[in-house]
Amino acid sequence: MPNSCAVSTVRVRPFQESPERRSGAELMAANPYRPWPARITSITDLTEHEKLFEFRLVDDRIREAFHHAPGQFVELSIFGVGEAPISISSSPTKHGFIELCIRRAGKFTEALHKMQCGDIVGIRGPFGRGFPIDDMRGHDVLLVAGGLGIAPLRSLINNVHDERSDFGKVTIVYGSRTPSDVMFRNQFEMWKHRKDFELHLTVDYPDSTWDGEVGVVTKPFEHLEVDPGNTFGAVCGPPVMYRFVIEEMSKKGIAYDHIYCSFERHMKCGMGKCGHCQIGHQYVCIDGPVFNYWEAKNIQGSM
Amino acid sequence: MLYRVIEASEIPALISAFMESHEVVAPVKKGDVYAFDVISSPDEVVLDYDTTIASPKKYFLPPAETLMTFDAQGNQLTDYTAEITPRVIFGAHACDINALNRLDVVYKDAPYADPYYIARRQATLIVGISCMPTETCFCHLWSSDEARFGYDLFLQDIGGKYLVSISSNDAANILESACNPREATDAERIEFRHATRRRQAAFNPEIPKIQEVAMLMDAFHDDPFWDELGGKCLSCTACSSVCPTCFCFDIRDVRDPDGTTGRRERVWDACTAPQFALVAGGHNFRSDPATRVRHRMYHKLNGFLATHDRMLCVGCGRCVKACKANINPIEVLKFFERKGAADAE
Ligand SMILES: Cc1cc2nc3c(=O)[nH]c(=O)nc-3n(C[C@H](O)[C@H](O)[C@H](O)COP(=O)(O)OP(=O)(O)OC[C@H]3O[C@@H](n4cnc5c(N)ncnc54)[C@H](O)[C@@H]3O)c2cc1C
Ligand code: SF4
Ligand code: SF4
Ligand code: FES
Repeated sequence: MPNSCAVSTVRVRPFQESPERRSGAELMAANPYRPWPARITSITDLTEHEKLFEFRLVDDRIREAFHHAPGQFVELSIFGVGEAPISISSSPTKHGFIELCIRRAGKFTEALHKMQCGDIVGIRGPFGRGFPIDDMRGHDVLLVAGGLGIAPLRSLINNVHDERSDFGKVTIVYGSRTPSDVMFRNQFEMWKHRKDFELHLTVDYPDSTWDGEVGVVTKPFEHLEVDPGNTFGAVCGPPVMYRFVIEEMSKKGIAYDHIYCSFERHMKCGMGKCGHCQIGHQYVCIDGPVFNYWEAKNIQGSM
Repeated sequence: MLYRVIEASEIPALISAFMESHEVVAPVKKGDVYAFDVISSPDEVVLDYDTTIASPKKYFLPPAETLMTFDAQGNQLTDYTAEITPRVIFGAHACDINALNRLDVVYKDAPYADPYYIARRQATLIVGISCMPTETCFCHLWSSDEARFGYDLFLQDIGGKYLVSISSNDAANILESACNPREATDAERIEFRHATRRRQAAFNPEIPKIQEVAMLMDAFHDDPFWDELGGKCLSCTACSSVCPTCFCFDIRDVRDPDGTTGRRERVWDACTAPQFALVAGGHNFRSDPATRVRHRMYHKLNGFLATHDRMLCVGCGRCVKACKANINPIEVLKFFERKGAADAE
């Protein structure tokens, strides 16, 4: 009996759009692997290794459906090079544009750093669980970033800034290696004189231009005043930093489940399938990347 | 569920009927082992096989699969049509059906449903077949020795005939057209009971029966046992390739020779591969084989259970045979048994 010749194959066109105009959310859900074209609308050099890119999704349906929370990330795509998970650095209060702050670290990020305004990339997302911004409203917030950790935390910082009256006391601690590594320095210089932000910029190795604090990111904790029962902590930075900052926050009396940190792991799919981002039983891409310290302690191998 | 009885002699006609409209994949003999393969005649099918070397997962998650095609110049998608062949997996054991049900949890029912997997799953009919355990089978420990759903037909051997559970309309029609399914007699129902009892009694008694595995995994997370077990790992990833429930993948872009067009594909990947958890800056979250092996066992015997209420191992025993370093869940069970014995002394 002839077998395969009698069998007619089913043809699936993963990107074919049905004739009726579907909503952005439906289009994105139909194939979550599909990157949507986004145009680079601005590029700002931040440091020698980091640039801030601003993107605008080309399809207006997708642009309208794209809503993120601070701490979520996107998968950024350059066809022929690959994809990389990148935290959204802009605040949800900034509509229509997505800012990503990207360090040159290898093949993909190199290729991106060579691109120019007007070039097209692909974006899918947003993915993951971000900071619990709505729980934070009405409370004091203590936001601590080290190095590139400012990229995801900036989304939260700017969100708090734009909706300042929703929050109690706002304290920002941002540590860098040297003054030339400090990102968004202009923005923070301006905030220095504001009464509604307590800002601590610190560097490990100062130079003659530096008039901020000197020392590791935990140094400012020596003189921080914290109302422990009323404060949410948020930490982003290199893995080694977490333990020390969390210890300082605990010493100030902030409860484990009020201290939030963002984890970085190898990621491919961003949506709980490829397995790369797993720690213990959690998938950092969907269960995180933001976890509170209580949750993190309950994951084998998280820290 | 609907039950009918057919004679063993009707099986070739049933397979032929499926072949008229589907590509039929079934266990066939290759040298001295069995493998799932496309058949061209019902004669090739061996229904009383032990365990196939690899599971049928490749028909749902191919080892390499194009997700999209692109034109790198201008960074745009190009039109791409995935060809999906309507198939019948004829003769899947209960463990493999239960494994598919677990893949469903991740690829079909979880948020971000996977359109490629779903298209294949929907185009595939599953015909299960009852089996007797080999000495490396421990499906009964994870209640995977019986398939409760996830198939279209399930054939339970009751000696010269089959009790057929029918769970889809398509399969029922084909069964009706090819065979003479009839009501089961009382004697046949009783024979089904006997067959089940015989299977349950036939598991290798040397595989320790331990219920509280997930808890023990947590309790002994830092035991030197993991270095002992995982230290031997060759990072060959054979375990994940043969495993019906391992579903991790990598995504990569492959350019055509012209340098501008290409395809984005996903390829099987494995958490026992050295670079699996490597991030930018060179930090590797699981840099040694021991932590990778421990991670794999945790996901199988603890982690998936915590989130999805079932083990991610169906006890098919394939990795027991595939691993040259004797790393497998049975060794973990034996370790817990030794621990129990030591404590009791
Ligand atoms: C949730 C999350 C948020 C991130 N946010 C930012 C951000 O805001 N800014 C920023 O500059 N970087 C961020 N990163 C890190 C960024 O993803 C890596 O720097 C980037 O993937 C490196 O790719 P590459 O090709 O340039 O490096 P290479 O070392 O050449 O390649 C690394 C390979 O591993 C893959 N990979 C997947 N995940 C990672 C990972 N986490 N780290 C390293 N490689 C990875 C890459 O796709 C690539 O295939 C984030 C990572 C995660 C997980
Ligand atoms: S556990 Fe065994 S089969 Fe798996 S990668 Fe290690 S040596 Fe290979
Ligand atoms: S871990 Fe081993 S025994 Fe368990 S399902 Fe996978 S291959 Fe089968
Ligand atoms: S990135 Fe693929 S599972 Fe998390």
